[in-house]
Amino acid sequence: MLMELLRKVATIHYPLRPPGAVPEDEFEDKCIRCRRCEEVCPYDSIKMAHGEWGLKMGTPYIYARDIPCYLCMKCPQVCPTGALQPITDKREVRMGVAKIDTTTCLPYGGILCRACYERCPIYREAIILKDELYPEVVPEKCVGCGICENVCPNDPPSIIVFSAHQPGGS
Amino acid sequence: MTRFERFIYQHLHGLRRATQLLAVVFIFLVPLLNRWGVNDILGTFYSIRIGNLDIVDPALVLQTILLTKEIYFPLLLAGFIPLVITLFFGKVFCSWICPFNLLAEFAEKIRKKIRPSLVRLPHHNPKGHHYWLIYGSILTFVAVFGVPLISLISMPGLITGQVADWLYIGTIGFEILFVPAILIIEIFFAPRFWCKYACPVGATLALLRAKSTLRIKFDPPKCTYAQTRRLPCQEACPLNLNPMKAKDLYPYCFNCGECVNACRVEGQALNFTLQPVETLTAVQLGEKLVS
Repeated sequence: MLMELLRKVATIHYPLRPPGAVPEDEFEDKCIRCRRCEEVCPYDSIKMAHGEWGLKMGTPYIYARDIPCYLCMKCPQVCPTGALQPITDKREVRMGVAKIDTTTCLPYGGILCRACYERCPIYREAIILKDELYPEVVPEKCVGCGICENVCPNDPPSIIVFSAHQPGGS
Repeated sequence: MTRFERFIYQHLHGLRRATQLLAVVFIFLVPLLNRWGVNDILGTFYSIRIGNLDIVDPALVLQTILLTKEIYFPLLLAGFIPLVITLFFGKVFCSWICPFNLLAEFAEKIRKKIRPSLVRLPHHNPKGHHYWLIYGSILTFVAVFGVPLISLISMPGLITGQVADWLYIGTIGFEILFVPAILIIEIFFAPRFWCKYACPVGATLALLRAKSTLRIKFDPPKCTYAQTRRLPCQEACPLNLNPMKAKDLYPYCFNCGECVNACRVEGQALNFTLQPVETLTAVQLGEKLVS
């Protein structure tokens, strides 16, 4: 519950931005709302903020529980303003960092589950299994794609990605 | 005048409508093509990418420089194509492509039916400094408050962006209501105020006007107003300007060519010209003729 509330607050002020995004304040200045990243995204991961987001309207964001970023790395190449830096290696991406809520995470409660561990695109590096059982995030390796949050069988998810740009986020 | 020129002058209206419709087809087609997996053309009228060629609205290049206080070279380069087009032809983006202008022209037709008294002939050309004052305030606001105002109120961008969102991911924001709101104000209170005074996108293009940029030339001796007492050019002007005072048409005129098209006088009293304003003759005479 607390995580869910935190996530809601975090997404309004610090939404998950597409890969390569510069820090939030700079991003708002640099993004010219051209929708190219939205149109090039083959998975429809990138959504567009509308009027209810205030001055952030027209900027791209990713809501990982719906559709996470699959790190195809197409969008950083098409950004005309450098709001998304043109990186090509998915390991360089720092969209956010996943955090595990150990009070609800199934293995910590005694139920076997490896959903996030097995789907993590930085396999066996960003999410490791402590004692072969308990998933743990390695913040230095985590790219913040949100696939773990997307596949978590719990509702609300026990693993949530927070934007790397919020204070204390990374 | 060559036959080719005559042909162009007589069909300017049709050519312009065709271009505008193509632009509308374009803004619907691009998100759909991307939906179907063709990523060769991307973007909206904020910024378009064709193959590897970047085109960015010069107003947004300026805005980004004002906001970030630094120059990002690829962005500067992307503003080059609109800059060259505008240096040669003036604000033709506004009159020949911008989807908001198309909507506003139809709104103006409605306005002429239901509120004809708002504008009376002969039209007068507002002073240029009104235009620059409003544009200057917008730029100052952007620089001082650090708000990307030009992105937020760019009409071509707003419309094409919402169309892209709607066709590509199926969402549409309530900010699109800004467009009908402006149109309603234009119909009932201030005809064509947005394109004429407020739009920062058009104003940035107007800034790029050089001495020999395409302009309207008026040849007073050829004008038959004295005999016929008719002003087809002024009736045709979508911005309610007076082409017979060609000297102070700019920065307002966006070179749509409707007045040139409407002027059916033998040899054309109104012409497009690339010559600098200094070489124009008898402008003063023309002003006397009208007043």
